[in-house]
Amino acid sequence: MTPRPWLHGFLDLCLLAMLRERADYGYGLSQRLAAAGVADVPGGTLYPALLRLEEQSLATPSWAPSEAGPRRKYYAITGAGLDVLGGQADDWRRFRDGVDSLLSPSAVRHD
Amino acid sequence: MTDWPAAFEAELLRLGVQPGRARRLADETTQQAAETAGAPGEVFGPAHLYARHLVAELSAPAAAPGRTRFEAGPVMLSLAGVGKRYRRQTVFSGVDLTVRGGEVAAIVGANGCGKSTLLRICAGLTRPSAGTVKRTPRVGLVPQDGGTAGWLTAEEHFTLFGSAAGLVSGRARSTGVHLATRLAWRPARQQRAQQMSGGTRQKLNLVLGELHAPDLLLLDEPYQGFDQGTYVDFWQQVFAWRDAGRAIVVVTHLLHDLQNVDHVLDLGER
Repeated sequence: MTPRPWLHGFLDLCLLAMLRERADYGYGLSQRLAAAGVADVPGGTLYPALLRLEEQSLATPSWAPSEAGPRRKYYAITGAGLDVLGGQADDWRRFRDGVDSLLSPSAVRHD
Repeated sequence: MTDWPAAFEAELLRLGVQPGRARRLADETTQQAAETAGAPGEVFGPAHLYARHLVAELSAPAAAPGRTRFEAGPVMLSLAGVGKRYRRQTVFSGVDLTVRGGEVAAIVGANGCGKSTLLRICAGLTRPSAGTVKRTPRVGLVPQDGGTAGWLTAEEHFTLFGSAAGLVSGRARSTGVHLATRLAWRPARQQRAQQMSGGTRQKLNLVLGELHAPDLLLLDEPYQGFDQGTYVDFWQQVFAWRDAGRAIVVVTHLLHDLQNVDHVLDLGER
């Protein structure tokens, strides 16, 4: 699992990417993150991030009943959220390629 | 553990979150904990610590590269054809300005062009010679100087101004101290206003203007005398207010921060 400080910069990106696939609620998103092997995100990290996305109008909430237990707050990505996701995805790829190039020994100094 | 939501809400209020919003956040947080089938204290830790964490997270700058535009809220201030004359001399005329919740307006121009007069007109302290002014009832004004009582300490000011806004003393003090820390200022218990540096007295003015959580904040060069770090904090604070849905009008003679404001009114050019 990812060290916590790494995740901090990329949590919004991961959440927006999952919401692009389908609207989801908090606990569902945390399970998807864990299943993807990205991180086990504690509620105290996840929910503030979702609220922030909501307040920045990157995701829009709606309440829906659940089969058992309390109603759930589902988040759907907005047009602005898709724009931000596109920009951040580019940032991420540049960052990832940069780190990869530093990590791979074969690429050093030969070209 | 049953009163976790109550403790959480109380701490949000203490941190200056508006009551309706604090209630919503407390309700939501309780439901979020229920999603994971846990008690709030198990999921989020101690109520007061999570309240601080959440407030800090929500006031963090936007994740977006550049800036995410917030939808502008209701009109908080509207000037139409406003002018001011002193005897025969026209200071300014024909000023139109509309500021909505979630927007920042800057009034700029050389010394003596009437910036502070216009701000006082916005606040309702000075009558315009012409035009109409409409404003929301909850207004906070931070004057350029004055407005504080030299023989009172910072906390006594918080109590005094708080009671005018209907806050009990303890609440006014804790709110004031909290707002002060956002400006990197920790009020000394014994220090009277007349013993403060000019920059610190301006911070006191700024806190007093915000103490009652106004919808419209009118600031007259409130960072004069601030040191560099605090100056940056000041603009962060302005944008945090804006993102919380308030309308802000700042009088300034500095031009380099204007790329982030929504309206620029240049009185000197007129």
